[in-house]
Amino acid sequence: MIGENKIVIAAAGSGKTTYLVEEAVKIKGERVLITTYTESNEAEIRQKFFELVGHVPANVVIMTWFSFLITHGVKPFQGSLFEFPVSGMVLVSAQSGLKFKTRQGQPVFWAENEIDKHYFDPVRRVYSDKLPKLAIRCNEKSGGAVMDRISRIFPHVLVDEVQDLAGYDLDILAALARSSVRLLMVGDPRQVTYLTHHERRYQKYADGGIVDFLRNELPKKVPVDIDETTLNRSHRNSAVICTVSSRLFPVLPASQACDCVRCRTGSAAWNGAFILRTADYAHYLATVRPMQLRDKITSLGVDQRWPAMNFGESKGRGFDHVVILPTEPMRLWLSDHATNLKPQSRAKFYVALTRGRHSVAIAMDWGTSPLPTGFSLYERAS
Amino acid sequence: MKIEKVKITNFKCYEGTFTLALNDGLNVIVGANESGKTTILEAIHLALTGLLHGRPLKNDLTSYLFNLVAQNKYVHSLGTASPLPPPAITIELFFSGSSNELAELEGDGNSERAKRSGVVYKIEFDEENYKGPYEELVKAGELTSIPVEYYTTTMRSFARKGVTARNIPIKSALIDSSSTRLQNGSDVYVSRIIRDVLEEKERASISQAHRKLKEAFVANPNLKLINERITQAAKISQKAVSISVDLSSQTAWENSLMTYIDLIPFQYIGKGEQCVIKTKLALSAKKNAEATAVLLEEPENHLSHTRLNELIADLTEKHGQKQIIISTHSSFVANKLGLDHLIVLRSGEVARISELEASDFFKKLAGYDTLRLALAAKAILVEGDSDELVVQRAYMDANEGRLPIQDGIDVISVGTAFLRFLELADALKIPVAVVTDNDGDTTVVEKKYAAFKDSSTVRICFDPVVDTGPLMVKDKPYNYNTLEPKLLKANDRATLNAILGTSATTDDELRIHMRANKTESALAIFNSKTAVTYPDYIQKAIAP
Repeated sequence: MIGENKIVIAAAGSGKTTYLVEEAVKIKGERVLITTYTESNEAEIRQKFFELVGHVPANVVIMTWFSFLITHGVKPFQGSLFEFPVSGMVLVSAQSGLKFKTRQGQPVFWAENEIDKHYFDPVRRVYSDKLPKLAIRCNEKSGGAVMDRISRIFPHVLVDEVQDLAGYDLDILAALARSSVRLLMVGDPRQVTYLTHHERRYQKYADGGIVDFLRNELPKKVPVDIDETTLNRSHRNSAVICTVSSRLFPVLPASQACDCVRCRTGSAAWNGAFILRTADYAHYLATVRPMQLRDKITSLGVDQRWPAMNFGESKGRGFDHVVILPTEPMRLWLSDHATNLKPQSRAKFYVALTRGRHSVAIAMDWGTSPLPTGFSLYERAS
Repeated sequence: MKIEKVKITNFKCYEGTFTLALNDGLNVIVGANESGKTTILEAIHLALTGLLHGRPLKNDLTSYLFNLVAQNKYVHSLGTASPLPPPAITIELFFSGSSNELAELEGDGNSERAKRSGVVYKIEFDEENYKGPYEELVKAGELTSIPVEYYTTTMRSFARKGVTARNIPIKSALIDSSSTRLQNGSDVYVSRIIRDVLEEKERASISQAHRKLKEAFVANPNLKLINERITQAAKISQKAVSISVDLSSQTAWENSLMTYIDLIPFQYIGKGEQCVIKTKLALSAKKNAEATAVLLEEPENHLSHTRLNELIADLTEKHGQKQIIISTHSSFVANKLGLDHLIVLRSGEVARISELEASDFFKKLAGYDTLRLALAAKAILVEGDSDELVVQRAYMDANEGRLPIQDGIDVISVGTAFLRFLELADALKIPVAVVTDNDGDTTVVEKKYAAFKDSSTVRICFDPVVDTGPLMVKDKPYNYNTLEPKLLKANDRATLNAILGTSATTDDELRIHMRANKTESALAIFNSKTAVTYPDYIQKAIAP
């Protein structure tokens, strides 16, 4: 029997984690797995449980995607592939399992049948990019025992930030979708800030293509309910911020600012979307007190006297006011939306723009051309 | 949820891997002392709880836990060209049942690489932390035992994940005759059993009440006054001296609460009663998500006959869905609990009465003789009482007057059931000698026992010579090939007349007398003051 499958496309600040936790709390007596890609988000989910119900219910297990794959994907039925104990996982940022480089500098990788070298580093830690593939192989070799076991342990699997999954991760999602598990996925295709895999598998779905993947790659008899409305309203961003940020993804339905009383009370004196001259930067920081958002720790222009955060790090967080130190491609895109902005930069820019509740400022000297729609130039009050 | 199979490797008396399949309900493990009954119970309890003798084994590792043969093999290999890796103790429990609680423990992380649910308890060399020191130790060449200081214990599910007793849905209630006490004197096992009987909610409310009790004690105004006085009296330093309950310890309520029976602390009531109460408590646990395996060690030790009967009635009638594993060397217990459930254990060999071809026969038999055979170091099977007496006497004559039983040799009269007993003996590899008549046709006897012709443990003894004669008794030819005429043949009329106190004038007269007075004759021989000569086949049977 195929369990119910659903993906909820969420706008930034729409209360994804709250929704997921509320869904989990509704389930009584049956075991629930909540999994997400990053450790920080895992911590946030746990935190959310404490905020909403004061504890994590006994039937709920929260674990990161990687530890889920090691604990339930690989270890239980690794016996058909290899014997030695897995000592953990090692995060890799490029294709793993390098055998040697040719004289021309071409890398040659260990083949899949060299299991200990293809999947593992010398101290038997599994490479992060190969982990989902290894889990899939364990499932195949054991005649589906891996998925069968998971579906009996966890009748409900809730995946947060599902857009972060790629490559063989998607095969695992597909296998879960085909199983008796009730699969609930929540994510925002606009916020793919972690490039998880360097596998070529499912490359075409790598950048926010999760919905297309579910539509195209699952058999007809495996229905997935695609919900684009439940979490379409941002409780965080003001209407202006919703409008300017949605422009980064014109093909997706634009997010709406929630206009309920609770969301809109206490709206600040200062709100809107601004272009901030570098000359006014220090003054702006002192008067508006925004969070500074930068691409990376080495980005120029940060005022060290005030708090600052990387784009990726800020994901899931909200601030009353933010000021963004844009990268060159982001600046170019602002002046002309037709310029090519790489998917990852686009996602990071979207994340940065949607951190602000009331105001967003972009620190750059604009010049004379007309300002982008929705933005106004910050003028120092005299 | 049941334990379907236990596999024990290198633990105590089990060299190599010992496998024991268990029934879902009652299991009665019978065996002599030192046959490894208790070790099985200990192993199951250890794998389910991590405890041995009521204490976490990880703090008490010694090389004595390891099988001596395995240890010697390892130590001797160290000086050679092919040293063995440090040996590991492994206890595997395979669970059966389809409950979802078991799914979490499922995987192929077991010695059979099978998709099963279960746990593995291991005592193994801690390679990760002690590789270097171990190498140095081996190089120094002074290793005479297993270096347990470099060992660690692990408890893992078949899914290769570390587990604790809490994660295992099968709880074990060990009821043994030793008394394992907690610091406050209360019995470890009764506390555990009570805790396992309780539901999670009930456990929480006890620990809540316990905490309140502690807090109330600390808040008591009298205590405050007393503490002030102590501080003044102490004057040892500027610091305050005070008494209080132990608030720091993480130990749960079960370590500081005591179990009372009619207001008497549990450990002060009789041992027998303790055993009965623990068993009843363990049997009463009724939970959906958990199952209980009751491990009962030699219940006959402290119980009177009537209490034992009561306990057995509880075990057979009220065990419900629980799995019970009992070790015993009491033939009474084994017999009462039914031979169906009997697992006979003997130096690593296992026989189940229910699997023997002769199982019907043994089930109908009183059971005592079955166990006598199973528990004997060696046995001599004879046909009847008179043979038994003569064989015993023959043994005494050859062994400075010692009865065979004093040397662990049991002489058992089995009537005509030789082959059935041999099946059991063969299954358990019990050394047995069979003393039988040749019935006037050695080929028939040879054919009957053909299966044991080359056996290293079974010795068939009969007279290869067929005697014949003209004597008739009640129109039937006299059988010259039973024990009595063979005895006459080995001795002579005068000797036997003296021993039996008869005055037979012909051999035939003596033959007829002995035929009519079998037992009396045998008794007279058994008590004879003069030496008797025994037929060769008897000598062969008693030979070491």
